[in-house]
Amino acid sequence: MERRQFLKLSAAAAAAGTLSPAMAEAVNPRDPPKRIVRSGRLHLTITAYDYPMIDGTLVYVNYFEVAGEGIGGPNGRRGLHPTIWVMEGETLDITITNKDNRPHAFAVTSLSLSATPIPPGGTRTYSFKVPPPGSYIYHDPYNYPVNRILGLNGALIVLPSFDTTTPPPGNSPIPYNLTQQTLEVRALFDALGHGKFAGNKWVPELPEDEDHPRDLVWLTSEMDVGLARRVADGDEVDGSVWKSSFTPSYFMISGVSGFETARHEDLADDAYSYAGLIEPEGYEGQPTMIRCLNAGLCTHSLHIHGNDIYQLTGTNSAGGVVVNDNIFALDVWSMPPMARKDMLLPFVKPFDAPVWPPIEEKFPMRYVMHCHCEMSNTAGGGNYPQGMVTHWEMLGTYADYKRKKGLL
Amino acid sequence: MLDDQFSLDGTLAAPNEPSFETYGCKVFQESPQTPDRLKPDIVIEREFKNGELTAPDGRRIKFWGFVDPKSPDPVFREPVYPSPPMRVRVGQIVHTHLKAGKGPHTIHHHGILPTTFNDGVGHVSFEAGEYTYQWSPHKPGTNLYHCHRNTVLHFEMGMVGLIIVDPKYKGRGWLSDDGPQYHAEQAWVADDMDPRWHEFSHNEGLCGEDVGLNRFEPKYFLLSGVFNNRTMTDPRAVATVPVGKALLIRLLNASYSVLRVTIGVDAEVHAVDGSQLGLHDWNRPFTIKANQPFDLTSAQRWGLLIKPTQRGEIKARMEFRHWITGKIQDNGRGVVNTKIVVT
Repeated sequence: MERRQFLKLSAAAAAAGTLSPAMAEAVNPRDPPKRIVRSGRLHLTITAYDYPMIDGTLVYVNYFEVAGEGIGGPNGRRGLHPTIWVMEGETLDITITNKDNRPHAFAVTSLSLSATPIPPGGTRTYSFKVPPPGSYIYHDPYNYPVNRILGLNGALIVLPSFDTTTPPPGNSPIPYNLTQQTLEVRALFDALGHGKFAGNKWVPELPEDEDHPRDLVWLTSEMDVGLARRVADGDEVDGSVWKSSFTPSYFMISGVSGFETARHEDLADDAYSYAGLIEPEGYEGQPTMIRCLNAGLCTHSLHIHGNDIYQLTGTNSAGGVVVNDNIFALDVWSMPPMARKDMLLPFVKPFDAPVWPPIEEKFPMRYVMHCHCEMSNTAGGGNYPQGMVTHWEMLGTYADYKRKKGLL
Repeated sequence: MLDDQFSLDGTLAAPNEPSFETYGCKVFQESPQTPDRLKPDIVIEREFKNGELTAPDGRRIKFWGFVDPKSPDPVFREPVYPSPPMRVRVGQIVHTHLKAGKGPHTIHHHGILPTTFNDGVGHVSFEAGEYTYQWSPHKPGTNLYHCHRNTVLHFEMGMVGLIIVDPKYKGRGWLSDDGPQYHAEQAWVADDMDPRWHEFSHNEGLCGEDVGLNRFEPKYFLLSGVFNNRTMTDPRAVATVPVGKALLIRLLNASYSVLRVTIGVDAEVHAVDGSQLGLHDWNRPFTIKANQPFDLTSAQRWGLLIKPTQRGEIKARMEFRHWITGKIQDNGRGVVNTKIVVT
């Protein structure tokens, strides 16, 4: 299909959605991407949409959205299934209003919350102390896993208290508290910034004048058009029976696919802004955290080009975050359903390039990340690579970065 | 720093700017010269060729292969499944010279970390009629190469082979220049085939047709190119090692299934993907106990060291499991059995 046609469909879907008055700080879409930190209280609604897939096909979905911020709201797509960033030790009050015509519920991996469904039109508040630092999935467990697969999922990222580092003499910023840190994860974060990792340490929050987030979320999921149609038609789909017939044909990272997962100039402003929360971008020597979470039902096999990537965490049988004590440099990592793995992309030079920095070849270096179970790289049964793929971009060498900052 | 544009025989060595159309349907197609070209230590030739396999049930299955037109081994001048391995040493300047034939193709050296031009992904660089990929591996290990055009199909169709990088000084027989040593090696490349896909054209589905490439229902299961009715006997699949000596198994899941592997003897995992363990403070080798199953998903590699202490045969089993249901593919028939013969 033509891109124009696709954009028209997107606009139509937006108009059909809930348009509410602005309640949050608006984002200038062409500004550097920044995460929206939520804490304390958060009001989410569960809303149904006919939502355009990457090929323009409208599919019935359910999304958690920030109340008053759905499609057409001030944060655009960021208001949908928002990533919730919170600090360790905080208590979170999440109020859910069910604006759909079916019952729903709310759960966070590793936590025990009330499983009583919220009836259509109902509202319930869930108060809980946030779990230890790491990455979690919030989702609708009702009629498991149907509602989650229809789109009711998102990421909850818990950060350690401000200024958390490895112990002296390393003192390296690290996204896990002292109790969680293993000797191995300390060794890796302490190694950043010199030797083969020449450049910066990992930094949790960017200085004001920097553009590129170094902590991103890749939340994978799939859509099954047949399931969506049945639910939209009012069919009572029994999750336990339905699961074996799951036939997804759209594959997403944080709710978008293919071309929309990276910042391209000819994306609409909102899509461009949203892609900045997915596509890692920066200079050589700027390590970036990528929180990988699989809210879908497929076992994905994510593969990154250009750099090896380090798997920092896994989970235990109770859903708790486990910081690894044997940290592998990988180019493929398995993501079974509900897997949560924090990965560190070191943003180092491509070590197998015999000429570096390149002379004739120009920056940016662009390297893809895609699922290697390649069926997930399709959309609507073909259309490779409009599925579970994005890329990361290296804008220049570390020396280029220092020149840009006036340090050279 | 980034402003000066360098023109290379009329070809700009800067990345193409992707658009929605160039993502899949109208991918960049060029045959540029290699930027920053050096004198190679080794040149690997690869051309495209159609092949055909006969399955155990007599069905003839088309596949696509890379051939090596200059191989001293005549087997590799004709299409084989999987494609011929590449074997190089750390530090060599390698040129992979691709002649794609009629349609454009690419070579992505998976596990090798080159510049974008040499990484072989069309929608962020170009798909080639002819191109020389330049790379120089910095670490020993087991990797793979494959075509990255309409990858979902071209990978399944057989345009995939192993890359083995040997250590710089000690070469074959050593995992790295610092050890450990192995006396025998065996590549186990697990693959599955959905015969429906093997009737497709190179561009199938690229411009938006629903051709069902989201559905993969394999009916044939292979180990290192051997159908599973012969994997207990064919020397391409069966490993052999003298008692008391070390066997290195280079295990690659080249299928689209979750591969559940069980080996009847303790195995030390010395490498994951293309990286050896134990070289840094943050990782070390680990042991998989005998008969303890472990899973590899698509494109993962493990380097397993096995040191049998008595003569005989050790069984190994690989189950190809569906990526959604977790069930063994083809109603339980998706299994490869093979063995290690200890002499």
